[in-house]
Amino acid sequence: MKRAITITVNGQEHEEMVENRLLLVDFLRDVINLTGTHVGCSFEGVCGACTVHLDGVPVKSCLMLAVQADGRSITTVEGLAKNGVLSILQQSFTEHHALQCGYCTSGILMNATEFLQSNPSPSEDEIRASLIGNICRCTGYVHIVAAIKTAAQRLAATRLEVAK
Amino acid sequence: MNAHIRNEGDWVGASVNRKEDRRLTTGQGQYFADKKIPGTLHLVFVRSQQAHARIVSINTDAARALKGVVAVVTGADIRTQIKGLPQPVVVPSFAANYPDFWPLAVDKVKFHGEPVAAVIARDRYVAEDAAALVEIVYDPLPVVTDMEAALAEGAPIVHDGWASNEMFAMNYTGGGTPESEAAHARKVDEALAAAAVVIRRRFRVHRCGVTPLEPRGAMATWDDDGLTAWITTQRPHIDRLALSDVLEIPSDKVRVIAPRDQGGAFGVKAPFYREPILVCHMARVLGRPVRWLETREEHLMSVSQERDQIHNIEIGADASGRIVALRDNAIADNGDGCEGVYWGFVMPFFGAAVLTNAYDIPLCDIRIRVACTNKAVLSPARSFGAFAARFALDRAIDLLARELKIDPADVRRRNLIAELPYTTATGVHHDSGDYAKVFDHLTTLVDLKGFRAEQARSRAEGRHIGIGFSVGAELSGVSSAVLVSMENQPGFGAATVRVDPRGKVQVFEGDAPQGQGHETSMAQVVAQEFGIHPADVSLTTGDTGTTPFGSGTIGARGGSYTVSAVANACRALKSKMATVLLHDLKVEGVPSDVSFRDGRVFLTADPTQGKNFAALAERIVMAPLGLPAGMQAGLDQTEFFEADVPMLTFGAHAAIVEVDPETGIFKILRYVASDDFGTVINPIVVAGQVHGGVVQGLSNTMFEEFVYDENGQQLTATLENYKIANAADMINIESHHEAGSACPHTPLGSRGLGEGIPGPVPAALTNAVCDALAPFGIEVNRLPLRPNTIWRLLQDKAASKG
Amino acid sequence: MFPAPILEYFRPASVGEATRLLSGGAGENAHIIAGGQSLMQAIKSRLISPDALIDLQDIKALRSIHFDKNGLVIGAMTSYADIASDKRIPAAFAALCDAAGHVGDRQVRNRGTIGGSLCWNYIAACLPPTCLGLSATLELQNAAGRRRMVEARAFLKGPLETDRSSDELLIAIHLGPAAARTGSAYRKWGLVTDALPVVNICVSLEVGADHICREARVALGARSEGPTRVEAAELALRGVRKGDVRAIDAALDAAAEAADYQSDLWADAPYKKVLLRKIGREAVTVAFARASGEVGK
Repeated sequence: MKRAITITVNGQEHEEMVENRLLLVDFLRDVINLTGTHVGCSFEGVCGACTVHLDGVPVKSCLMLAVQADGRSITTVEGLAKNGVLSILQQSFTEHHALQCGYCTSGILMNATEFLQSNPSPSEDEIRASLIGNICRCTGYVHIVAAIKTAAQRLAATRLEVAK
Repeated sequence: MNAHIRNEGDWVGASVNRKEDRRLTTGQGQYFADKKIPGTLHLVFVRSQQAHARIVSINTDAARALKGVVAVVTGADIRTQIKGLPQPVVVPSFAANYPDFWPLAVDKVKFHGEPVAAVIARDRYVAEDAAALVEIVYDPLPVVTDMEAALAEGAPIVHDGWASNEMFAMNYTGGGTPESEAAHARKVDEALAAAAVVIRRRFRVHRCGVTPLEPRGAMATWDDDGLTAWITTQRPHIDRLALSDVLEIPSDKVRVIAPRDQGGAFGVKAPFYREPILVCHMARVLGRPVRWLETREEHLMSVSQERDQIHNIEIGADASGRIVALRDNAIADNGDGCEGVYWGFVMPFFGAAVLTNAYDIPLCDIRIRVACTNKAVLSPARSFGAFAARFALDRAIDLLARELKIDPADVRRRNLIAELPYTTATGVHHDSGDYAKVFDHLTTLVDLKGFRAEQARSRAEGRHIGIGFSVGAELSGVSSAVLVSMENQPGFGAATVRVDPRGKVQVFEGDAPQGQGHETSMAQVVAQEFGIHPADVSLTTGDTGTTPFGSGTIGARGGSYTVSAVANACRALKSKMATVLLHDLKVEGVPSDVSFRDGRVFLTADPTQGKNFAALAERIVMAPLGLPAGMQAGLDQTEFFEADVPMLTFGAHAAIVEVDPETGIFKILRYVASDDFGTVINPIVVAGQVHGGVVQGLSNTMFEEFVYDENGQQLTATLENYKIANAADMINIESHHEAGSACPHTPLGSRGLGEGIPGPVPAALTNAVCDALAPFGIEVNRLPLRPNTIWRLLQDKAASKG
Repeated sequence: MFPAPILEYFRPASVGEATRLLSGGAGENAHIIAGGQSLMQAIKSRLISPDALIDLQDIKALRSIHFDKNGLVIGAMTSYADIASDKRIPAAFAALCDAAGHVGDRQVRNRGTIGGSLCWNYIAACLPPTCLGLSATLELQNAAGRRRMVEARAFLKGPLETDRSSDELLIAIHLGPAAARTGSAYRKWGLVTDALPVVNICVSLEVGADHICREARVALGARSEGPTRVEAAELALRGVRKGDVRAIDAALDAAAEAADYQSDLWADAPYKKVLLRKIGREAVTVAFARASGEVGK
């Protein structure tokens, strides 16, 4: 029933013996103590608070077993800031008051980080559609949408800088 | 932006980035589930699959035999070990039938989801395996799930020994004797009979709530110091007293800690619930840390259900639209009514008490009956009890206006309380502000005249757009005058402010915020008062071991009561610091001659004479020599703030929609709120409260509904079935507070806000839909407001005309 | 809520290895896990408690979108996200992109697979009626290496039932060949945006140069009897000219009659017919437009 797995999380390799049935989100939270990834559903996987990147792609870590991530690479919200510097999106969230209780925020940041890579200049409708897998109970989404919009503009400006 | 900014560069009134956000955007928040104590056991509840049944037997042998299981307990085990509820500390000062209950069902179950047994095991996975092995044999009883049926003769009785299911009843306006009530009712009858127009309707608001994204949880340890409990709660100090009484542990041996970061609450985490009692008890019994982390299913089955009221309204007006009399026979469905502090009925009680909202209604006859049924108890949800009442009255006013062929906005404006202060027929005190000004600002923001012209053009083109209005005079904190009777608790705001010798300021607050941004708002106020930077201010909340007694983060108390206690504590300390400065400078003067600015304390008349804030603090705390005669050392100050009158916050909402009459599908085009928030401490935080409150209201109105079938089975215990608005369902909510005015009853002029914001939403939206469909003449008097409902009403109307 | 104990977890690297596990190697109570977006719900809620899971993620051959001489071939393990974003998928099969692009949410679309959806055949699913409406053919393989082609119509039975036998693996979904000037579209309605469908429809039209429909296929899902083709509606659409709203509505009325909807938490049965007409009109209009190459996907 147990199995040795190796998962790279935020660039660091973790070798652990886990039960086959252990959910990936519980592996992150309880085995390697990265508690920034949150749980808001029982089994339905609707709220999105547990969103992490699996090989760069946002997925719900409550709808996956840890053994399924064996040999693969995970990024969690703890992996977004580099050397203590917030990412452009994280910074934009703090400036736009895009969070209140913060419980959904980790999942939204993970989803939106990759969304802005795949769609660098989204319309407001596209931003709203991109957030369907993340429920926020506090903000009414207004400031979240604004924060993502601003982050898109800043990322575009950064890319322009780099191109120059 | 904010009209109340006093000086350039002031912290109060500035959209300061929140201090909380760095940790919350980097995954460093410390929520309940993030706190871990080695060796913790995990408790899982076994909940009833039946809505109403005798418990014949519970076989726990297989569960106990499972490896890793430490204990399995049932109601029969614990009823002799701990006191049941009610206990006086969590009972309101109202006459009502209070059901007896224990954390686990005793003898019978009364709703689908009631805890029947609990398994404690070394990990949650094993505890769940064992829970599935607990065998319960039930003898089903007749089920009652409808509030009117529950109050009818011969209904199945939810609580053994009760003569009926009526838990609470009240006549708010009749005077207290059967004779006076009858006489008053006649008076209202006469006024209605004489009115130019009378509307009589039944308004039904469904069961829904504001379930936060973080579920509940409790963890307890037991050692020589007694009980330490971490609970997701809005009111740790009340929980501490209640746990002390129920578990018979001296209160000095009970410490309750609400985690610094809580994933939303909106009222749901305010009651004293049964689950934490059992967790604490089992920690004591087992002598080991015990933790329960609620699942979403448990949450949706047992808490976060509110609203669920019927209002039978009669309202009369003269030909100009002035309301002359109002009658409401309200009914609420309270489920099993088992819940400390609120007992479910306090919400509908309060909703009916504030029924008249911001309207000047001279004559009222208002009564309520609250029924127990085989459902989960009502638990508080933002727009506490008032959501349904707001809907009923603001819909009725729209119907009055239609009958009189006057624009509903005009009828509303005509009936708003014109002169403040004002006390309603039910005794609600309206303290200050200018309601008409705030409302007029709204009609300007939506360009009502221009909209009506556009509406006429659109109709000619076959498009159906409409506008709907509503208002809300909502709690700005809850005064002791209200809270002592309603919840048996004080209403004062409490805070300790400590200036340390390095000039850093620590603030201690006994409340337990859940996302409102207290760390930032309180720091802004402290920084403003002391002339320092918010970064030099820290806030500790929610720990009964370190914070002054407070009734909790409820009823928009943060921006009204708690922040006022913080401001007053700062001012007391400033007075002391100024006195010492004058003394040390050997200058004759009074504290108000001294300014605090840019990290310095100095004579206003001669800014060169002064000291750094930190240096002055160090001098007072660390070198308390030669202080002015009679002055105590130290710079700690605790203040308890009680406003001289109960306070409210006024807001007006408008929704603009477009409806497709073929399908009933509608689109919200604009949603605008104009509010009076008094002196605004942080405008972007305030806007966030409005956005979130409105979207909760919209989501409640359009999507969310707790559904029980006729057997009392709850069908909506997942987020797949309990539908919550997502970003693509919503639009940008527009929030304005320019028409507000400083509150004269608080030191900063601030008003509390947030709690009541969903209240006006269902009426604004429904009025807009009905306005859009005015040519068809349909009335929506029942929520949820869904395309299916609208389509059905249109069909029925067409059929009746046909 | 957590899964019951799972005794074995297998991650085969090839179809052969997977089918051997299915035919006994993984024990009696083994279950395939593809993207797991439905299966994990069922496992966590203990609706099912498999003793063994066979995870297909390492079988690269099952994850592809390519064309063969007959048309389009989609590997069973291809994610919704990959289908929705594939610009090569022609108008004839564009309904597939409509459906895959609105299943659940971004996170679900990144994990969930077309094969998983078809084999689970949940009542409120987007892909089963879509594949039905596109007359997909499903390719299955067993441990003996026997390959079998099954029409979607025969494969998809009542909810949670399919024609797959327990030792078979779904390999690929074949679409085509499609006649020239064929267009398709999928639409759904749920209470909140992109929710599980309360009503859904897939329409595929072959249209002449005269903008008259030659051949039509209409499939509905979200029915308690499972997804179904609606021949009455297909017949009614034949001969209909693009933009003939009355004729299109008549066809959709026929579809609504045949749907035999039940009331549920989200809509009553009569209202579902109204919804079907609304989304059906949209689907037919888009399918006509796509058939004549007017809109891209």
